[in-house]
Amino acid sequence: MEKSIENIWKEGFLKSDALVAPKINDLYNKKSIHIIDKFKRMFRINLIAIVVFSFAFLIVSYFVGIPLTGAIFFVTLTVLVVINKSLLNGLERIDKGENSYQYLKEFDQWIKKQVAVNKRISKVLYPVIFMSLILGFWFKDAEGIALGERLLSEVLNRFPDMHLIYGIPLIGIVVLILVLGLLAFFGGRIYQWDLNIVYGRVFKKLEELMTDLESLNT
Amino acid sequence: MSSDFYNTFILPFAGIIIKLCRAYTNSQEDFEDYYQEVCLQIWRSKDNFREQSEWSTWVYRISLNVCLTLLKKKKNNRQHFVSDSLPTEETEDNYAFSDESLDLLYMAIRKLSEIDRAIIMLYLEEKSYQEIADIIGTNPNNIGVRVQRIKTRLKKILDGKIN
Repeated sequence: MEKSIENIWKEGFLKSDALVAPKINDLYNKKSIHIIDKFKRMFRINLIAIVVFSFAFLIVSYFVGIPLTGAIFFVTLTVLVVINKSLLNGLERIDKGENSYQYLKEFDQWIKKQVAVNKRISKVLYPVIFMSLILGFWFKDAEGIALGERLLSEVLNRFPDMHLIYGIPLIGIVVLILVLGLLAFFGGRIYQWDLNIVYGRVFKKLEELMTDLESLNT
Repeated sequence: MSSDFYNTFILPFAGIIIKLCRAYTNSQEDFEDYYQEVCLQIWRSKDNFREQSEWSTWVYRISLNVCLTLLKKKKNNRQHFVSDSLPTEETEDNYAFSDESLDLLYMAIRKLSEIDRAIIMLYLEEKSYQEIADIIGTNPNNIGVRVQRIKTRLKKILDGKIN
């Protein structure tokens, strides 16, 4: 090698094509599409995970003796997946050819709609899941009779003057209604908390990108 | 990013940004992505510039950090999504300058470790050992020895290829 590295470097960059700066363009578009694609991928995986879990739980619940819980879980989660799949289809319709800001805006609106729908669903979903557990264990076979009836007869043996409504202790009904009420009240918040754990980082990136674009527009 | 900012604060240093980005990429498409990302990061970080160092040093530092971050991301993505059987040779050159010797030198530089690439680029840009140490965040005493070692390695790689 005759030329020194320093000379190759200096002489090489004297030629005109070596230092042509590329134009700044399209980066935000690429970033927006990347973030949204990532979200779609995560959302799809999440839906598949719910389907797999509801199937697995249905089978397990049969062997554990609480098939009613498994069936309610399965039906409820299937409805949840169907609703969210149709929401996801709406996301696919957002035009990637739009400018970055418009694309992100539409995605942001989609997210808001999706969160609002799921918050409403959660107000019903969590109480239904809780109720399915109560019913599942109540009707679970315990040596020939339902576990709930067996438990009830033991309670009545101890407290014979307990007030009953349709054969169920009033205190039990009150506690049940209270828990269901709390779950319905906090359902939306539980969903939001769950959402932030799974998608928090994507939402943060999305917010940063939108802030950047907004500052570029001003 | 306004064109004023770009013309005043980035364009005068575009040369080193281009040179650095070329050392960490092996296709025109990647090079353009890296370049744009570096420019955006410089613009985003402009408020953090404290004038404790030169603006050019600041630009070098950001360029280098962005290139290293993007390279790391690319490697992670490749590990996640690409089968081991596909080619992963980092030094394969998919774009070329009109100067053959410079092409070969770049190919040799791409064979170096990520930090060695940065050191030799800054050395070739005639930065002092102190400046290189400031940009990389290391001890200036070790830079001289390291530069000599890198040059020997580059000469070995290029031996017989450049007349």
